[in-house]
Amino acid sequence: MDNLMMQTVFIFFVSAFGYCNSCFNSALFNRPLVLGALTGLALGDVATGCQVGATLELVYLGAQAIGASNPPDMTSGSVIGTAYVIAAGTDVAEAVAIAVPVSLLMSMWSNFLMAVVGPIMAAKADQYALACNRRGIDLMHWGFVLIQVISAAAFCAAGFYVGTQAIQGIVDSIPAFITDGLNYAMGIIPAIGFAMLVRMIISKKLACFLFMGFLLVAYGGMNVVGVTAVAAVIAAVLVFNTGLFAPTQVASDVDDNEF
Amino acid sequence: MSEIKIAPERKLTDRDLRRVFWRSCMLDSSWNYERQQNIGYSFGIVPVIEKVYEPGSEKQKRAYARSLDFMAITPQLSTLLMGIDAAMEEENAANDEFDDSAITAVKTSLMGPLAGIGDSLIAGTLRVIGTGIAIGFAQQGSPLGAILLLLIFNIPGLLIRWFGLKFGYQYGSTFITDAAKGGLMEKVTFAVSVVGLAAIGGMVASYVSLDLSMITVGSGDFAQPISDYFDMIMPCLPQLIVFGFMYWIMGKKFKTTWVLVGTIVVCIAACWIGSMMA
Repeated sequence: MDNLMMQTVFIFFVSAFGYCNSCFNSALFNRPLVLGALTGLALGDVATGCQVGATLELVYLGAQAIGASNPPDMTSGSVIGTAYVIAAGTDVAEAVAIAVPVSLLMSMWSNFLMAVVGPIMAAKADQYALACNRRGIDLMHWGFVLIQVISAAAFCAAGFYVGTQAIQGIVDSIPAFITDGLNYAMGIIPAIGFAMLVRMIISKKLACFLFMGFLLVAYGGMNVVGVTAVAAVIAAVLVFNTGLFAPTQVASDVDDNEF
Repeated sequence: MSEIKIAPERKLTDRDLRRVFWRSCMLDSSWNYERQQNIGYSFGIVPVIEKVYEPGSEKQKRAYARSLDFMAITPQLSTLLMGIDAAMEEENAANDEFDDSAITAVKTSLMGPLAGIGDSLIAGTLRVIGTGIAIGFAQQGSPLGAILLLLIFNIPGLLIRWFGLKFGYQYGSTFITDAAKGGLMEKVTFAVSVVGLAAIGGMVASYVSLDLSMITVGSGDFAQPISDYFDMIMPCLPQLIVFGFMYWIMGKKFKTTWVLVGTIVVCIAACWIGSMMA
């Protein structure tokens, strides 16, 4: 087996691992941070893989399933994007230019499966339920899981196999202003994800902590690990050592005394 | 404290609960647009239905069918619901007076609030805290980042899953109301939100960037990059402005993908104009 064929097989298994995310605790196997490192391992350049993973993670930071809205297919984008940067030896930022369209394309396939094939198998499961056939329900579950994981991983592997041969030509034809533009976009895009997350969590009472984190880094030069530790201490103080969460009557008594 | 809702006799063993636990880990894997996690939920709860009911009975048939109803919940919190469900299925099997529509009612009424809390606390905030800690390592090319993210997210996730199942089965639906009354959920939500927001604030300053040094103010020897002026006002000011703009845009109901693609297009266009002028 030649080298490219071997790498294609590795890519199949790395993608399959990513698509198995929801098979175990929805454990974040499909996040770019994880798949970047694994794709790097498969292609023999873990360090670059991790760096691409970090870059794509910031792009997809806001991507998560909320209710019936599905996030873009991060697995294909991360694997193909990382493989592209490692194979072509290009700038890390160019992974974004590959990952975004690839994940949009693959989302169409997975949406087709979830909109058409899934409900058909659910209807079949309904029939097994009425026959009190537990194994039948299990079979529909496993069957739908395998259809999704294997088909999507096969697409990723095929994309890698075909794509790597065309990569050098693509790289040479990209004009400088596109590369520059992507580099700027890379700096700005993480703000989209942060904004989505903040909109999900924030309330008037809590907004000050967002600025605390920002200022600790901007003026204090701390890293995010340090900010997290400081915030954890403050949260503990507020929860355990203040009357913030005392029963309502007590809290209003205190207010009466103070004002 | 007496609990009338729960059957005195407990049929399910720890081994049965472990089966539900492992199966529940696959909740999202057969997601579909029609009834979402219905197959996954059913896959998780069927060992209970198989065990507590008489095989082939009308009650068991109804229970299997009920397990395939619409379901949408945060995966890590699903076992709390499965535990409560298991306790009620057991009661239903033992007691002919039991109205099994109560099971559907409890599932339907609890999944919304639980998904609301879970999506923002676990899938949102806990993940972001993990990412904030992990991403610095990954940027330096270390696989420690990926490992840390998985540990920070999954250790609490699996603990919540297991103990949620135990509590749900033990206390039935009263558990949730007790937790709400005691203010436990409120405290946890508050603490996690504080840490999450601070981490996001820190990440805005660390990982958002907008290099404005090519735009200069003044001319000749007095030309100075505009970024120097921003720095005088406040460090990391461009990042804060970019974040503020995106926060405003995200409130406008645009699809995220279009905001993302739009950002890339605008940046490339700006660089193209810049290269034309140079």
